[in-house]
Amino acid sequence: MIGPIAMVLERKSLVIDERDAASWIRDGMTIAIGGFINSSHPMAIVRQIIRRGVKGLTVVGPASGGLDLDLLIGAGCVRKLVTAYMGGEHYCPVAPMFRAAVERGELEVWECDEGMYYCALRAAAQGLPFTPWKAGIGTSFPEINPDIKVFNDPITGEPLLAIPAIKPDIAIIYAAHADPYGNVQHIGTGFGDRALWRAADRTIVQVERIIPNEEVRKNPLATSLYGVDAIVRAPYGSHPFAAPGYYIEDAEHLREYVAAATTYAKYGDRGPFEAYLRKYVLEPETHADYLQVIGIKRLIALHEY
Amino acid sequence: MTREYAKDFTTKELIATFIARQVRDGERVAVGAGLHVPRAGILLAHLLYCPNVRLYVVMTFTNLLKEPKMEPFYTVTDFRPAKWAEAYVLHDDFQENPRLVSNLFVVGALQIDPYGNSNLIGVGEDYRHLTFRGPGAVGTTSMAHYVDRYYLYVQSHDRRIFVEKCDFISTVGWGEGGPDGRRRLGLPDNGPIYCITPLCIMDFEPQTKRMRLASVHPGVTVDDVVRNTGFELIIPDVVPETEPPTVEELQVLRQRIDVEGMLRI
Repeated sequence: MIGPIAMVLERKSLVIDERDAASWIRDGMTIAIGGFINSSHPMAIVRQIIRRGVKGLTVVGPASGGLDLDLLIGAGCVRKLVTAYMGGEHYCPVAPMFRAAVERGELEVWECDEGMYYCALRAAAQGLPFTPWKAGIGTSFPEINPDIKVFNDPITGEPLLAIPAIKPDIAIIYAAHADPYGNVQHIGTGFGDRALWRAADRTIVQVERIIPNEEVRKNPLATSLYGVDAIVRAPYGSHPFAAPGYYIEDAEHLREYVAAATTYAKYGDRGPFEAYLRKYVLEPETHADYLQVIGIKRLIALHEY
Repeated sequence: MTREYAKDFTTKELIATFIARQVRDGERVAVGAGLHVPRAGILLAHLLYCPNVRLYVVMTFTNLLKEPKMEPFYTVTDFRPAKWAEAYVLHDDFQENPRLVSNLFVVGALQIDPYGNSNLIGVGEDYRHLTFRGPGAVGTTSMAHYVDRYYLYVQSHDRRIFVEKCDFISTVGWGEGGPDGRRRLGLPDNGPIYCITPLCIMDFEPQTKRMRLASVHPGVTVDDVVRNTGFELIIPDVVPETEPPTVEELQVLRQRIDVEGMLRI
């Protein structure tokens, strides 16, 4: 007979706040940050990492990175970057702080294309030293990224690239919803977020809303990541980037950022970037304080789609 | 049937029409978000000639034949076109079989050499001290490798882009040239088909795989192209004008695809 004692155990909530989440990140770690160019970045946690003054990070961006990573680079948190693109599409062809840091020799880039990038994460997820890849033979990648080796395929004898594993200590991902127990549901495709989650030792997911476990059970097929390690609730938490199903990117804010960062990249004047950093990152103590700086009118205007 | 050609059109509309003529019905085609001109060309092919093309639009698969007009989208992450989605494409899945995403691909470049090798990484003699850091390869290295046909596309035509030797190669073209330029590298023979610029269309001469002028856009002379190309281009005896859009193509382009007029500025 099942006694009443077994029924008193409680399942543990994995919900923490963005300050707790950022405290997991220590100097010199390899962290992965999800999303894709202008969408779906865990910005509440990213801004808190900057406030904590974390240094020397190896950042595995999305396959194609955006201005969230540019902000981290400009704030001095990043030593090495793993991504295949750094820009803001029509907002800016090349991410300004990234461009400035590379040209000044202050940032190491693990040069790859999107296919090679996923090879590295897949090898990490599968505990393999590398993934073989054909695309890239005849290019400069093995020269400018010495971690990538050319070898002869033992089956056909033809040349192949060995793309080595890159293992993030922690993946930080943005999604629409999660229950308190680590079941995550994206709206939309989730871009390459699953690859980061599969490769990383631990995963923190920042969400727009925490939903009841009963909601998750209504549609388990929608659960995109399971068994993650922590959930952070941060409404409007991808701002100024888009959040599928919730809001589009804040074009005006992105232009403000690009203008400030470009002043440094083009003319060497860090003033406007520092002012941006103070106003939007360093002075607001919490994510809620940040939203107050942005203002409710701007935020609700982004719902139009 | 004779084609009735349009008289007034922009170079961008001309290029979109050229790209439309590269698409074959039934194949899978990626519609980029950032490159307005190739995007418009592929949609034009779909609406006029290729009803069964499988369109990959900002991480979704769809068919847009019955959409009266395209609502604009500017980024690959814009989720508004998801209302058309028949399937979602998880970005990390594309490497499982890139040909499921697209049979053809358009590659941009900071530099292009005579054999169609191209560079999106940066400009400078020393990788550790670049004079200009580019955006990076994005997915061009892998997509160009796996698709059946790829096209080089640049939005300006000058001697900074068309160089004797790229500082770095992010997407391999015809290697060092010759009829077996790619096979010598251990690669399949799917190098770039055309290089498309605001001045002209170029192809690759079959024996040397060097770039050859195929057609010039209206108002452009052969000399204009030669002057703005930093390597010796193969010039055939007769260089035709790029085929203009038909009246019908231009009408569909303006009324159903480029409703915002991005191709007219």
